[in-house]
Amino acid sequence: MKIFVKCFSQVKYAVGTSELALDLNPGATTADLETMIREKSAGALDDVTLRTAVNKDYVSQPVPLEDGDEVAFIPPVQGG
Amino acid sequence: MIITPQELHNWVSTGRSFVAADIRPEEQRYHFPISGLEAIIATAENLPARKKESLVLICQFGVLTEELIVEKNLENAYSLLGGVQSWEAFQTDNMDLSRWTRQTILPEIGMAGQRKLQDSKITIVGMGGLGCPAAQTLAASGVGNLQLIDGDAIELSNLHRQPLYNKNDIGRSKVTVACKRLKKLNEKLTVIAEERTLDESNGQELLKDADVIIDATDNIKTRQVIDHISKTARIPMVYGGLYRFEGQVAVLNHNGGPGYEHIFTPDAAGGDTCAEAGVLGMLPAIIGNIQALEAVKIIIGLKPNLSGKLLLYDGITHETNTINVGVNR
Repeated sequence: MKIFVKCFSQVKYAVGTSELALDLNPGATTADLETMIREKSAGALDDVTLRTAVNKDYVSQPVPLEDGDEVAFIPPVQGG
Repeated sequence: MIITPQELHNWVSTGRSFVAADIRPEEQRYHFPISGLEAIIATAENLPARKKESLVLICQFGVLTEELIVEKNLENAYSLLGGVQSWEAFQTDNMDLSRWTRQTILPEIGMAGQRKLQDSKITIVGMGGLGCPAAQTLAASGVGNLQLIDGDAIELSNLHRQPLYNKNDIGRSKVTVACKRLKKLNEKLTVIAEERTLDESNGQELLKDADVIIDATDNIKTRQVIDHISKTARIPMVYGGLYRFEGQVAVLNHNGGPGYEHIFTPDAAGGDTCAEAGVLGMLPAIIGNIQALEAVKIIIGLKPNLSGKLLLYDGITHETNTINVGVNR
């Protein structure tokens, strides 16, 4: 299934792009996707909290993904 | 030329000779009669004759009369700033709010909203990149009371994004300098400078009287302290954060809505400061102004606001994403 990923702030710089389109196996969850994103970042996100939104709604627990879902990974930012 | 309600009141009080002409249609005159002033009913095409007296033109909001004076090139003629709306408000409480007429003609704000701003107290924590533009626009918009909290001194590297300060201010207290500059923007403003860093030991005391708190800080720890006080004292907080070309804004702890802890978890971590990651000067100006806008909306009661939502802005693409953070699937 095709999943569209939006990467914000540090995530964007850690994976090198703001948007990704990934093919995932059916049954994959947001937790699986977060693991993939963290692996792609080569350690740059190790100490960064990531919040996840599916189709612009926050999810606090891992949820199964569906074909065409848009998943956003959002870190807190410090700058002011 | 324009004349404010206060100035016109002075003319009336001192017995100055002038002709006042009300050019409003009958329906407006009926619903919003003028008090404390003798005005001749007139139209734009048929203005009253006069000799050497000044002419004061009156409409509902002071916009048509300004245009009329320019269009007809009228000499010794004045447009009543803010029109009958501002004049009547002045008659009620002797407060001249006419300088904000371009805001008060907005039906969502009106004189009632402007009075709420005048009576409000907004506390800004952090007078850096976000705090400076937020304070400037809040002061100019007619917020009556600002409290500024920051223990830092001005540095050369601040100046590209903190336009309240200049090179001569380097080494001086941010809040002290900001107070002076903000009072020049609005002489009706009461501004309090708290030259210290907000933390767990003083936060409760510093924030207790605020109607809205603007979180313009630069670290997660202080954001968490503000969040805790905001939640327990039930004072809404407008969060703003920056990372390079991106910004985040949310209204937190408003009417039981989610707080910072909910959005980023109690053990939130990550993100570099502006000093570490860099920031272009315009980005904090954009985000700080969005924070100020949300604060004004809270004071006035204008909805919807960003409670339960996280606004993500990208200064490169100008794309905005609004995430529903109040929803947990």
